[in-house]
Amino acid sequence: MRGAAPGGDPFDALGDPNRRAIIELLSHDARSVQDIADALPISRPAVSRHLRLLKDAGLVTEEPVGTRRIYRLQAEGIEAVQAYLTDMWGDAIGRFRITAENTRPRAAKRRP
Amino acid sequence: MIEPLRISVDLDCSVDHAFDVWTRRIGSWWPKGHSASGDPATDVRLEPRVGGRIFERTPDGTEHDWGRIVRWEPPARLGYEWHIGRDSDAATDVDLTFRDLGGDRTRLEIVHSGWERLGTEAMTWRNANTAGWESLLPNFVTAVDRAGAGS
Repeated sequence: MRGAAPGGDPFDALGDPNRRAIIELLSHDARSVQDIADALPISRPAVSRHLRLLKDAGLVTEEPVGTRRIYRLQAEGIEAVQAYLTDMWGDAIGRFRITAENTRPRAAKRRP
Repeated sequence: MIEPLRISVDLDCSVDHAFDVWTRRIGSWWPKGHSASGDPATDVRLEPRVGGRIFERTPDGTEHDWGRIVRWEPPARLGYEWHIGRDSDAATDVDLTFRDLGGDRTRLEIVHSGWERLGTEAMTWRNANTAGWESLLPNFVTAVDRAGAGS
């Protein structure tokens, strides 16, 4: 996932069930840290830590509204995950094909 | 159920050779940038048996598991759980079929499925990002066509 996001790895960020739950909550609407903590069985400091990681991975953004910070999904981060998969298979298949075709045995006949 | 990604490519070599390159020689072609470490000197290995690991070993000896083989039927079928860069509980399924087209040609068909295991958000993503997710498949076809151009 190198180069797909400014900081952390989005796949690492999604490797945790609490962070996946946060992503799901934010897919419905933007929420404050307290809103998220109220909806999940984890503490507010824990939610803040998860949000920081999700933000580093480019999956969520925050904006201050009054004294609160409101978090929402960042479309670019989610698209980066998809773009990564596209790149991965595109690159892998291309390189595999070249390698397979250029290394095949010269006498390509099968033995009986 | 989220639609699997399907990729097909025709190869100018035998099925035995194609299977051998995909498995035993994976380290010679897998793009190093698509690794957990991102280290260009990382070594990619595949243990050739059911239960075998697919993993990378960096020059300092650190190993990162990418997947586990669940189907080993050389040279026709290969299946693995794939969780490169993620925890294994978020593994997706990669299934490969190598078909003999005759005349030393092979069709490789890849089906990458199990996206729902990424969690409920996988579905949510698709719904919330129709433009992004639904354009994925055409992108794959384009990428593979480009990779397969001139065959």
